[in-house]
Amino acid sequence: MSDYKVLGKNHIRVDALDKVTGHSTYAGDVYLPEMLICKVLTSPRSHARIVGIDTSEAVALSGVRGVITGRDFPDVYFGSGALRDRRVMARDEVFYIGEPVAAVAADDEITAVEALSLIKVEYEDLDSVVDPVASLTKDTSVVHPDLEDFEGYGFALGGNNCTMLDADRGDVDAAFAEADHIIEETYHTQPIHQGFLEPMACVANLEANGRLTVWASTQGPYQVRQQLASVLDMPIGNIKIVAMEMGGGFGAKLRLALEAFPALLSMKTHRPVKLVNTREETFTLNGPRLETNIYLKTAVTNDGRITAREARSVFDVGAYLGAGPNSGVGHGLGAYNIPNFRLRSYGVYTNKIYVGSYRASGVADMTFAVESHMDVIAHRLGLDPLEFRRMNALQEGDVGVSGARIPRHGLAEVMDALQERMAQPGNGPDAEADNGRMARGTGIAVGEWRSGSGPSTASISVNEDGTVGLLTGSVDISGSDTSLAQIAAEVLGLEMEQVIVAKRDTDLAPFTGPSGGSRIVYSQGKAVQMAAEDARDRLIALAADRLGVQPDAMECEGGAVFVMDNPPQSFGLGQLARMSLSSRGGPIIGTASLSSMPYNPVFNAQGAEVLVDRDTGQVRVTRFVQAQDVGLAVNPMGVEGQLEGGAVQGIGRALSEEIQIDPGTGQVRNPSLATYLMPLAIDMPEIENVLVEVPSEDGPFGLRAVAEPPGFGPPAAIANAIYDAVGVRIRTLPLSPERVLAAMQGREPEDYGMDADAIRAAEA
Amino acid sequence: MKRVVQITVNGVDRTILAEPWCSLLDMLRDELHLTGTKKGCDEGDCGACTVLLNGQPVTSCLVLAHSAREAEVTTVEGLAQDGELHPVQRSFAENGGLQCGYCTPGLIMATVGLLNENPDPTEDEVKFGLGGNLCRCTGYSKVVEAVVAAVESSKEAQ
Repeated sequence: MSDYKVLGKNHIRVDALDKVTGHSTYAGDVYLPEMLICKVLTSPRSHARIVGIDTSEAVALSGVRGVITGRDFPDVYFGSGALRDRRVMARDEVFYIGEPVAAVAADDEITAVEALSLIKVEYEDLDSVVDPVASLTKDTSVVHPDLEDFEGYGFALGGNNCTMLDADRGDVDAAFAEADHIIEETYHTQPIHQGFLEPMACVANLEANGRLTVWASTQGPYQVRQQLASVLDMPIGNIKIVAMEMGGGFGAKLRLALEAFPALLSMKTHRPVKLVNTREETFTLNGPRLETNIYLKTAVTNDGRITAREARSVFDVGAYLGAGPNSGVGHGLGAYNIPNFRLRSYGVYTNKIYVGSYRASGVADMTFAVESHMDVIAHRLGLDPLEFRRMNALQEGDVGVSGARIPRHGLAEVMDALQERMAQPGNGPDAEADNGRMARGTGIAVGEWRSGSGPSTASISVNEDGTVGLLTGSVDISGSDTSLAQIAAEVLGLEMEQVIVAKRDTDLAPFTGPSGGSRIVYSQGKAVQMAAEDARDRLIALAADRLGVQPDAMECEGGAVFVMDNPPQSFGLGQLARMSLSSRGGPIIGTASLSSMPYNPVFNAQGAEVLVDRDTGQVRVTRFVQAQDVGLAVNPMGVEGQLEGGAVQGIGRALSEEIQIDPGTGQVRNPSLATYLMPLAIDMPEIENVLVEVPSEDGPFGLRAVAEPPGFGPPAAIANAIYDAVGVRIRTLPLSPERVLAAMQGREPEDYGMDADAIRAAEA
Repeated sequence: MKRVVQITVNGVDRTILAEPWCSLLDMLRDELHLTGTKKGCDEGDCGACTVLLNGQPVTSCLVLAHSAREAEVTTVEGLAQDGELHPVQRSFAENGGLQCGYCTPGLIMATVGLLNENPDPTEDEVKFGLGGNLCRCTGYSKVVEAVVAAVESSKEAQ
């Protein structure tokens, strides 16, 4: 164990008391005098030309203060990904059911809703396409015929393929020609929602000085600011985003969502305007994840060495490229060293709601396919699934898909830890349940991710009483404020209570990247560490100067700076702060800024024990174990919470969650929490966590990212456990009772039309 | 047309004008600005709006303000007394039973309601008792631990 004073110990979250007393303020909790309520009118058509919009009756309704349509916005495109393919509100054409076409601001919600019903939109239907594989490989209608004119359009096949990624190494064809075994499969994953409990909300107000303030529920205030400036054609400096407490986002709130509507309405009405989504709108107005189809072909030797992999993944991005198909390439190999590969990944337009991000978009989909595939190969070869993974596992010094050297990591350690814990008895129902009706099985899966990078800044000021103020621009979505405060306290030798974490907005704090991709405590934490070291060095320099000793003879610990050989010779931090006010250097402030952090991988090994009901196909997870290499568990209670939450999201993805899409129109058919089935407490086994600590080469105090990996493995681990229990292999999510029963009865699985030959032909 | 609702909220008598369709949740939030009670779905599915209505946990989005006339309502803001956290609040904070915090007030109120009915629940009874509350961040493990710890500490206090 480490000898840190603050790091590695459980701390109550810095925001806990506000949250348990109901005093935290979320965007929907903002009430301003004269505030109007905004509601959004959306398209009922999958794909149509807008012939005309008549808002006159809505405008005339008593209590309506403003009505906007797409023509009220500047004529600009913006993009959530690299491609600028989207207008903030439809102008001449709608591309999916649910696309915003108008918005109103009224004195109250009921008036706003009534006003929407008075807006008349005339549509002329156009052909639409819903199936992404057909959209890529068949002669369907084209969603955006002007794709090649979009700013940012680069490498892709055109048509409905808006972006494509590839990676190649070695001689794949030769490796397949020489292979002892070739295993070829396709997998399908379902549309899924991030499931955050706080519906999207914001309040916008045009201030008297012409600046716009937006109180937002966002993971990326600076990204919202930039995109809002773009769609309103306004200088960035005229916009202030106040990042309110965030009620869950998981990627859905990384970018501009609906903030532009109340913003423009506030500019028109000169009153504050609030928009809060209903739960239904949460499913239909914000980008969820759509289906993925994955083809895998693997060459392997008789003794279990993987020699080649070909992978082709088709990611349905809906009407706009909200989040790209990067994981189809980046995670096509899994946690394994495969010498020869050919990886292709396609983002494909369809007439459906655009995709957003969700907890490492696409990686859970790829992990379901790759880790099920690993199990299939192991069984084909008669090898133990874990042993087969060990034989092919990435080692330090290997070269990953991107060409980066793999630094020190804990993959072997997490697999060992999983095996050891799984061998111990769990708390679940005992094996007697394995009888004529209930079948027991276990399965494992390995997830791999990286510690997230991106621009990070921090500043630390020392107060006259010896406390310090920590300012970063990053939003706390995961307990990161607590971990950042721990890092500052550790460096400065303070107690946690002496670090004050500022609430922030984009005027106050310098630019930082969004809170996503397991980035904050690793990258932002590095900036905090550096800023704290900067402040510490300045404190020591001031003390050394006043005492006439060398700075390197002094230490900053326990709230004071003292001479190491003579500790009574010291100044308290408060004393130094007061002295600094009239010192040559001025008040003490430590700052740090960095643009990126080196690549450091994170591995998580998970094991599921299930009971499968042979009569109904119902699957119950009776035990779930995970081991993750976290480098250093900064706040173990918080780390466990992240791992448990991620695993349960993964279990929901595995067993019950699915956005049902109408195959004819692309409409979301189940936009409610009664029909979109997220796990409840009663559904869940106790999650057993093993925190493995192999220090990363570059993270602050060796820590690694935590948040994303626990959501990756559950679908494959559970599918592998079902195979172990009842001998059926299910390659489609979710692993619903209907699907499991159908497989046990020997019925043919669904065919999603994923045709590797057709895709190869399209490439040619 | 708005009509008068007389109601006691967190021990304070209130007289509020409310439309006939106004929910107890909207009245608490929009009229009293007691925003600790959260709106996660407005359909009774998520439990984030749970309050105590005459001591019973209810989803306040499904209760009309006018049907709560003369009632006693306790929201999350009314649990702490004289600056002292309610034991359930303290236990959620100390045991990591919250992350984003949006479902937390509802979970805490559901827990208080559960423990009023059944002061010594088994772990399964806790999980069942929180069956009306969704949480997306924690995976429930630490929520259940927090409730169990609150039960244990109240036993020790007796």
